[in-house]
Parts: sequence; structure tokens; C-alpha cells
Amino acid sequence: MGSAAALRELQRELETKANDLSKLQKDIGKNHQVRKKYTIQLGENELVLKELGLLNEGANVYKLIGPVLVKQDLAEANANVRKRIEYISAELKRLDATLQDLEEKQNSKKEAIFKVQQRIQSLQAGKAKA
Amino acid sequence: MEVYRAQLTRVISGPVKLTDQDPLQRSNRINQSAMEEPTAKGTVTSLSSMFSVDDVQKAAKRVQDALLEKQQELERVKEFISDNTNLINLVQKLPEELHHGIMVPFGKAAFFPGRLIHTNEFMVLLGEGYYAERTSKQTVEILKRRGKVLDSQVDSLKAMMKDLQAEASFFDTTASEAAEGLVEIREEYGEENLSERASESGLLKQDSSRLSEADNLKDEDEEYARIMSRLDELEKEELAWEIENGSAESKQNNVAKSDNAKYGDEDNELEEAELAAETENRSDENKQNNAAGSDNENNEDEQANTVSDQFSNQISLDHNLRHSECTGLTVQAALEDAKPRTKSLATNVNVEANSAEKALVLPKEDNVATAPLSIQEISAQASKPEFDRYKAFTESIIEHNYNLQTDQQEQIRNTSKPSGSQSSKPVSRFKMQRK
Repeated sequence: MGSAAALRELQRELETKANDLSKLQKDIGKNHQVRKKYTIQLGENELVLKELGLLNEGANVYKLIGPVLVKQDLAEANANVRKRIEYISAELKRLDATLQDLEEKQNSKKEAIFKVQQRIQSLQAGKAKA
Repeated sequence: MEVYRAQLTRVISGPVKLTDQDPLQRSNRINQSAMEEPTAKGTVTSLSSMFSVDDVQKAAKRVQDALLEKQQELERVKEFISDNTNLINLVQKLPEELHHGIMVPFGKAAFFPGRLIHTNEFMVLLGEGYYAERTSKQTVEILKRRGKVLDSQVDSLKAMMKDLQAEASFFDTTASEAAEGLVEIREEYGEENLSERASESGLLKQDSSRLSEADNLKDEDEEYARIMSRLDELEKEELAWEIENGSAESKQNNVAKSDNAKYGDEDNELEEAELAAETENRSDENKQNNAAGSDNENNEDEQANTVSDQFSNQISLDHNLRHSECTGLTVQAALEDAKPRTKSLATNVNVEANSAEKALVLPKEDNVATAPLSIQEISAQASKPEFDRYKAFTESIIEHNYNLQTDQQEQIRNTSKPSGSQSSKPVSRFKMQRK
């Protein structure tokens, strides 16, 4: 009966580990989505920067803030976009780091789950023999 | 018989490398290759046991889904492109007039007539809430640049889809192959000191390689090289065994009370009978291989052969010596025992047949070392007509022993079997030559 209790214990452990793993996987999925969003923004900003670079000095540039278009200086708009690109790049790097971290955690969790499964199997095999 | 086989199998299973541990795979192997062999050099794994059909189909489905997603994205991008070209046309056309009469949308459902003026002034959204005042010409340039970006997106999407399609087709073929029951054959290439089993597994491999046409050529080449490298070894071993046996026999002759000639005769007869039976089995199996059929009865024979071969490898030299010491005595006892019985009619017939056949069989043994080709002819002549009798002989010995269940009887088998397996070596070489 001792082995049965141990088996139940192991199964509970396996369950909690599986829950953790699914949580981690959800986090990774979220991370991927955020990353995707940022990548798209980065692309858009780079496009804007390119277009702004192509405008000549005297061109009128407006920024849509809420419902109104606010006139902006070209140089100022350029600087703003650059800053934004920098920010997004930093954010992407941060996301990369967290993603890597999460994946490492996921792998270790998977290994732990595998080990628990093996132990359960060996226990069950022992029980079957006895 | 069953007990005996189980015992042997246990002995064998020690050094034999059975790389597939999964009982499912094992049973699969038996079914697939129709080989009831306890020994095999490689593994035959059915594809469906490695990739279950369900899994493969799931994977294929996922790839298909991804493909569909990309397809939708591609369509969206293409829509953007057509929108963009329409816009370019419109923007190019607008400044042609000073003003355009249009219907201005008002709310959701209402329109009122209006006039579009300043037709050469555009407020272009650059993205991220930035707008720039541009003329028609400049706007068209911006739009064209956007079009180029969209084109590059289409290209990358198409490349991705191509990859996905290749993947999908791979999964599809894998799924169908797994469903059809295709097998994967894996064999280790390496030297092995169990030379008997090497030749045996050679036969096996030949058989299994026929099953999978794809591996056929490669397998045969590998096989050929390996057997060639082992031929010398085999011959040496054979010689050593014969010397060992001979000395044992002479010792035994001194001990025994009956005349030497008779013992030698009996011994030889047994050995030759085994040899012939072995040859018969092999040639039969060979035929069967060529026909690419799988016959259960044949497999039984094959298994018996393997078992005996295997066993001969297991026996140490000491063991061998001791067994052969008893051989003459016990064989005679067995034969004498058998004669009055009605049951062992087959045995008697075989003994007579063997002595009659001896003249024919003996030269075969001599020829073995020198002219393998002649074996082919002789065995073809000698073994075919006598097939049933020889087979009966082999079986009767086993049955007989089993009934008596004495230690000595056990030893007859032990010794007579190796003699049979001994003779199997030239046969395998002959097979190889034919290849």
C-alpha cells in the first residue's frame, strides 16, 4: 500500500508540474504576441522615418493627437520617430531575453515532468510484478 | 520441444543485441518480416510504431493550418496592393481638374453634394499618426514606395508557403507510409566474434532487405563485404572445431567397449544427416526467398537452425569436448533404443538412407573448402529428393530426446546440432557467391 500512496503523491506532483508548464507556455504565447506587435510597430516607424527623411525642409508635418492634427516641426518629428524606434528596439531585446528565460524554464519543467512520469511508470511496473 | 526451445532462447538472449526492446515493435517485426528468429543483427521497426499514424496526421493537419493562415495573409496583402494601385490612379487623376463634384458622406446613410477643391494638396498618413502635406506627384511616389514594400512581403510569404507545402507533403507521405505498414530496417555495422550468427543474420538480412526494396542494394553491398571479411575466420574456426572433435572422439573410442569403426560410422552418419538436413533447409529457404513469399513452416525450420547455430556458439570448448565424448555412446543407445519402436520408423529409414546417401554426401564435405560452386550442384542433386526424409530425421531426433528426457539425450542434441550448424557455414558462403 505504501507504493500506492507514493504513486498518488507522484501523480499529484505531476499534475502541479503540468499546470506550471501550461502556465509557462501561455506566458510564452503572450510574449510572442507582444513581440509580434512591437515588430510591426518597428517596421511602421522605420517606414515613417524613411518618408520623413525624403521630405524636403519646408514640408508641413502634422501629428494626429486624438481628434486633431497638430502641426509639428520636421526635425522634431524626425527626432520623435527615432526615439520611438530606439524604445521599441530596446523593448524587443527585453522581450527576447524574457522569452529565452521562459523557454529555459519550460525545458527544465518538461524534464522534471518526464522524470516524474518515469518514476510513476517504474512504480507501476513494480506493482504489476508484485 | 517447447521447453527445449525456451531454454535455448534464454541462453541465447544474453549476448544477442536486440536493439528493439518494445514488444510491440518486436511482434511487428515478426509479422512484417515473417521471421520467427530469436536472433537478429539489426532491427526492423515499422514506421507506424515510430510515428503513430495519428500523430503524423495531426502534424500534417497543423502544417496545413499554418499553410492556410499564410494563404489568407497573402490574400490580404494582395488586397492591399490592389487598393494601393487604385489609390495611385486616383491621386494621379485628381489634379487634372481644378475641382471635382462629389457626394460627401454625412453620417452613416446621408450624402450631400459637394465640391472637391485644392486637388493638388494631399495630407498623407505616414504611419504612427504622422501626416505630411504633399502634392499629388509626391503622394504617388510615397504610394509607390509602399507598393514595393508590399511586393517584398508577397515574395516572402510565397517562399514561406513553398516551405510549408514541402513540409505538408512530407507529412502526408509519412502518414500514408505509416498507415501502409512500411518498415524501417536499421542494422549496426561492426565486427562481431559470433561468426556463426553473422552468417545466419546474413540470411536474415537478405530476407528482410527483400522486404524493403529501398534498402536492398546498400544492404547487400554491406553484407557482402562483411561476410567476405569473415570467411577466413570461419574457416579457422571450423578447422579448430574439427580437430577438437577428432581428439575427443579418439579419447572416447579408447573408453568405449564396442569397436571404433562403428562409433565413427554412427557419428558420421549423424553429422552428415544433419548436414544434409541443414542444406536442405537452406536451399529450401533460398528458394522461398527468391519467391519472396513467407511460409510459416519454413520459418520454423529457420528458427531451429538459428537456435542450433546460436547454441553452438554458446558452448565453450570444454563443453564441446565433454559432449562429443558422450556422442558416440549416446547416439548408439538412442538408435538401438529407437529401432524396436514403431514410432521411430522415420529414424530407421533415415539411417539407412543416410548410409546409402553417404557416398554422395561425403564428397560434398570435401569440396566445401575448395570449390564452393560444386556444392551448389551437389546439394541441388542430393538434397532435393531427400527433403522429407531428412526433415523427418531432424524432427524425430528432437522428439525422441524429449520423450526420454535424459541427460544423455540432451547431449546428443547439443553435439549433433553443432555438427549440423558447422556444415551450414559453407552453405552460406555458397549463397553469398551466388549473390
